[in-house]
Amino acid sequence: MTGIRKVAVIGAGVMGSGIAAHIANAGVPVLLMDIVPEGAADRNGLARGAVAGMLKAEPAAFMSPRAAKLVETLNLEDHLDRLREVDWIVEVVIERLDAKQALYRRIEAVRKPGTAVSSNTSTIPLDALVEGMPEAFAKDFLITHFFNPPRYMRLLEIVTGPRTDPALAATVADFADRRLGKSIVRCKDRPGFIANRLGIFWIQNAIAAADDLGVPVEEADAVMGRPFGIPKTGVFGLVDLVGLDLIPHTTRSLRAALPPEDAFHATFREMPLIARLIAEGYTGRKGKGGFYRLNREGGRKTKEAIDLGTGAYRPSAKVDLPELKEAKGPRAVLDLPGRVGDYAWRVMGPTLAYAAGLVGEASDDIAAIDEAMRLGYNWKWGPFELIDRIGGAFVAGRLAEDGCAVPPILAGLEGKTFYRVENGQRQVLTAGGEYQTLVRPEGVLRLEDIKLSAKPLLKNGSAALWDIGDGVTCFEFTSQANALDEQTMVLLGKAIKLVKAQYKALVIYNEGANFSVGANLGLALFAANIAAWGEIEKLVSLGQQTYGHLKYAPFPVVSAPSGMALGGGCEILLHSDAVQAHAESYIGLVEAGVGLVPAWGGCKEMLARWQGNPALPKGPMPAVAKVFETVSTATVAKSAQEARDLLFLRPEDGITMNRDRLLADAKARALAMVEGYAPPEPASLTLPGPSGALALRMAAEGFANRGIATAHDLVVAGELARVLSGGGADLLDTLDEDAILDLEREGFMRLVRTEATLERFESVIETGRPVRN
Amino acid sequence: MQTYRAPLRDMRFVLHELHADAPVLPGLEDFTPDVADAILEEAGKFCEERLLPLNAPGDEEGCRLENGVVRTPKGFPEAYKAFREGGWTAMGADPAFGGQGLPEGINKLVEEMICSANLSFGLYPGLSHGACQAIEGHASEALKAAYLPRMIDGTWSGTMCLTEAHCGTDLGLLRTRAVPRGDGSYAITGSKIFISAGDHDLTENIVHLVLARLPDAPKGVKGISLFLVPKILPRPDGTLGARNGVTCSALEHKMGIKASATCQMSFDDATGWLVGEPHKGMRAMFTMMNSERLSVGIQGLGAGEAAYQGAVAYAKERLQGRSLVGTKRPDLPADPILVHPDVRRMLMTIRAYNEGCRALGAWVARSLDVMEHHPDPAERRRAEDFSALMTPVVKALFTDLGFESASIGMQVYGGHGFIRDHGMEQYVRDARISMIYEGTNGIQALDLVGRKLPAHAGRYLRSFFHPVLAFLDEAIEDDDLAPLAQPLAKSFGALQLATAHIAQKGMKDPEEAGAAATEYLRLFGLVALGYVWLRSAKVAHTALRAGTDERDFYEAKLTTARFYMERILPQVAGLLAAVKSGKGAMMALDEAMF
Repeated sequence: MTGIRKVAVIGAGVMGSGIAAHIANAGVPVLLMDIVPEGAADRNGLARGAVAGMLKAEPAAFMSPRAAKLVETLNLEDHLDRLREVDWIVEVVIERLDAKQALYRRIEAVRKPGTAVSSNTSTIPLDALVEGMPEAFAKDFLITHFFNPPRYMRLLEIVTGPRTDPALAATVADFADRRLGKSIVRCKDRPGFIANRLGIFWIQNAIAAADDLGVPVEEADAVMGRPFGIPKTGVFGLVDLVGLDLIPHTTRSLRAALPPEDAFHATFREMPLIARLIAEGYTGRKGKGGFYRLNREGGRKTKEAIDLGTGAYRPSAKVDLPELKEAKGPRAVLDLPGRVGDYAWRVMGPTLAYAAGLVGEASDDIAAIDEAMRLGYNWKWGPFELIDRIGGAFVAGRLAEDGCAVPPILAGLEGKTFYRVENGQRQVLTAGGEYQTLVRPEGVLRLEDIKLSAKPLLKNGSAALWDIGDGVTCFEFTSQANALDEQTMVLLGKAIKLVKAQYKALVIYNEGANFSVGANLGLALFAANIAAWGEIEKLVSLGQQTYGHLKYAPFPVVSAPSGMALGGGCEILLHSDAVQAHAESYIGLVEAGVGLVPAWGGCKEMLARWQGNPALPKGPMPAVAKVFETVSTATVAKSAQEARDLLFLRPEDGITMNRDRLLADAKARALAMVEGYAPPEPASLTLPGPSGALALRMAAEGFANRGIATAHDLVVAGELARVLSGGGADLLDTLDEDAILDLEREGFMRLVRTEATLERFESVIETGRPVRN
Repeated sequence: MQTYRAPLRDMRFVLHELHADAPVLPGLEDFTPDVADAILEEAGKFCEERLLPLNAPGDEEGCRLENGVVRTPKGFPEAYKAFREGGWTAMGADPAFGGQGLPEGINKLVEEMICSANLSFGLYPGLSHGACQAIEGHASEALKAAYLPRMIDGTWSGTMCLTEAHCGTDLGLLRTRAVPRGDGSYAITGSKIFISAGDHDLTENIVHLVLARLPDAPKGVKGISLFLVPKILPRPDGTLGARNGVTCSALEHKMGIKASATCQMSFDDATGWLVGEPHKGMRAMFTMMNSERLSVGIQGLGAGEAAYQGAVAYAKERLQGRSLVGTKRPDLPADPILVHPDVRRMLMTIRAYNEGCRALGAWVARSLDVMEHHPDPAERRRAEDFSALMTPVVKALFTDLGFESASIGMQVYGGHGFIRDHGMEQYVRDARISMIYEGTNGIQALDLVGRKLPAHAGRYLRSFFHPVLAFLDEAIEDDDLAPLAQPLAKSFGALQLATAHIAQKGMKDPEEAGAAATEYLRLFGLVALGYVWLRSAKVAHTALRAGTDERDFYEAKLTTARFYMERILPQVAGLLAAVKSGKGAMMALDEAMF
């Protein structure tokens, strides 16, 4: 098979339709098929309904409305023969062997030879699925196990059988990696594969231990969360998120499939409370609530939690465990005396032991098991990384103390760690007791790897500059949440000088959860509170100058965002020669939300982009109105594709689906621009002046009259209108970039002196969202 | 002989002229300027005539513990009776329970007079006032009804029982226990020390507010509850019944405030009632903290004023040597020492401190009234921010300066200040405690840098920095004020730098904030005094421009303002340098080297 140009997904449930949507996100046409329900008027109704539902879903399954158009909604009775058109068929139907095999036989009758067929089964072994199927089918068959939601969860477990064609499996894996952006973990054909087998073990164990030790659910989640690098939903919050009904279901199939000696059985117990909750419709966040719920009785929202002892809801209590707050790292929590430490060990001790037992069973590769838990359950550290942090001898010792079997790989550690860094390379212990260097797939470049053997070229408290080879440098934000401050600007200024003198190109990139959430509001608020207006204005000017230097530097600059790129983090993209964005980039100028106008050149660059857009009508006003609409509402693009529509990205800017490939793609793009590079020409802008500002303000007042805009929104919109329309500019004048920058700065300084703007700052810092004042 | 005249002219200045633009607060309309002046005048008279004469004898005689009962010095019970009958105990209290609801703006001025005239005496009603506030804020209606009217009319008094032998600053360590009796009351057992007015013969009953732990209490400060424990248990009809298990086991022997009974108290299965929620005792304490700490700051000012008046009297009458530029009083055997620059330096320093502190204290006291009475929630919050910010500054700055002033006052007297006859050394001894109790001044500085600065990303600071900068911008444009505004603008810049420095360093390393705290608080305080001096100067200039028959008063204001800006405010530069130097030299020495 040569490549995958079209895909069919059979089964339009939550997972099937999510997978279909994500394939469409990659720009690949998809046929989404399901059965025809008895007596249905719309024979494609199941698939059609699923797509319609996804268009409204939060978080969005589609990256753009265009992607939705790539999904063709069909049914299995009328359109089965259209499977001939596709290169890959993904089966996502009910978890019943007979149903699946019946479907496979129908598929086998129509598919063209060499079309990959995969099942998204989470528990049925491949062996069973292909049993009795023709050789040709078995050769093209594999398991591709996606995680929910398919757009956002980066793990894809792949299982192949002895008869699976390796080349075909490689093609599917490569497509999933490069086009769908998944990290592939190859698993052995064992029940539950890796992530769910360990994950469900952990969940089951955590619920039982909380029950036994009388640990309230909030406390259990607090202990399981931050200290172990597990999302703050902990375990009960996680079960609420994925659905309580999933737990007995998955547990049952795992128990049915696992041999009796497997430790999974020992931790199992009946959970009448969960059964009752499910029966009463408390299936988690998708239902009426779960272990937690929002009680809306009496018109007030009260967060409630289940008392595991009585099974009744009670008001949720804030966890107040100072010792937990002070305990640094997982080991410190395990060492805590009393209930907290006991609970932590009762959950994690057996979980880590079970993980160690999976080596050779579910995978031979320790790193793969860690990767599966990191990407499938969003753990910060996989189980073996956790053991390294806690200390292998400690874990083995306590297991022995408890009279538990110590898995051989743990017993054989003898003071070694599972990971080590040798000559600047990360190595992992193999089942044979040797260390093996971890090799990244081709086309994957990680700054974390480079850092193992290199020192930064430049560094301060907020940023660093790295040599990433071939004359290319990488500027990394290193502050908390990658917020931008004076230090960032100072180092960027130095970096520009250094690259100019010694290197070919600059990539702006980092491996934080978010590219940058914008300027450091806490510092700005503190400065404003002590009336340090001069300092604030200096920082505004410094950012304007530095971004200006970046734009006109005599070398190519490529920014490579992933996650949020907001405010000042968006403005740095706007000043780059090119952007290579991770598909999951959320870009926007959100200054208006906190009561400001963009003042590091954001208004200026957006005006220039829209004025150069041939699709707009002639005259100065249309571009100004477009930018005003986007910026005054603090619109954030919810994907890189959406960012193109808003011109935060230009048509020629690139999108990378796989997060791990982002730096390599950005570097390649920068290198391609080196030869014959010339900095851009400065923009000159024709703006409508005061009459244009008046029109924008009237539009804003319209919103206020409809109750959409607040009093301070109007003040902010007024300042924004003044900047975008060119201040007192005459229609006949053209303004240069500096003139717009002056307007940005003046508007910013007037707004930052208002009490309402400072209230918004404070609410963002304290609650994460601006107060609507 | 100690002398004291209530500084009524300056009090009227801060009350009416300095804040002339502030609106009258709803609920406080009755306290017109005329009413306020009459109250101040009456209070002044009482302090001068009844309290001052008892100050030195009270110090000599001290309190005695006789047969388990504390006897205050001669004349104290009679003075207290007059004080109570004059309605002074009810002055600042809630009208709902028989109080007069006097604004804090006036109340704090009265407190200053009492502290100048007789600090030891002032502590008895002062402690009562604090206890009343805690009861008002947190106790059940039944407790309020049973206790507040008697405490407010002064027939009963109150105490605050916090400290134990092993815990002062760190109340989380306290051990006194409270066991529920099942009838709504609790059995309180434990020992407390340093309890001001713990026992005395001024009132017929004493109501102790006691911090103790319930049996199920969490560890630390989150497990402390507040209890009301009367010395004598009132019967349901309000008459006094059985003696409760509370006794004064000893009196502390101390450096100053000797006429104030500082008691060790034993609670032995004493009957008490919970005030507020279980384990939330610290919250009840904190609600009255701002007002209480401001009051202790005012004690510093009271000492400073008394020292100033004593020193001035002596500097005018003591004849020694001749002026450096030639004889001033050929008719006398020598010139009064007032002619000497260094004596002038001493007197001007105390004067500048006193008038500055009075003006600043009035501003903070007014914010307490705004918090309570302003109709606009935004204004109330601003006032709350401001008082939270300024409370540690006022407490530490005023008491530091008060002690310094008392010491300078003694210095003016030379050897005659050191001996007892003139009463100057008593001011030094009495003033010293105010730097220690109600949170040592070191704790105040930590409160400022550790709690108040970082709160809400520095929001409390806004309530000070924004009005000060706005006023500076205006004053710099005024030709008359510019010479005073310029040095203040420079110092304000230093305060901004120091604040930013601490915010930045202290966030990463709390020890850096701790190391800078005391100097920072002083720097902050000096700038705050500079601000009120600049405002005072503006009022004086305006009055002089408009024409006044009190030229001397306003010109003296301007001269003192100038002295402050030229001779005191420059300390800010040194303090900034110290703040910026960091913790290095402070923390470097090995513990074994101490």
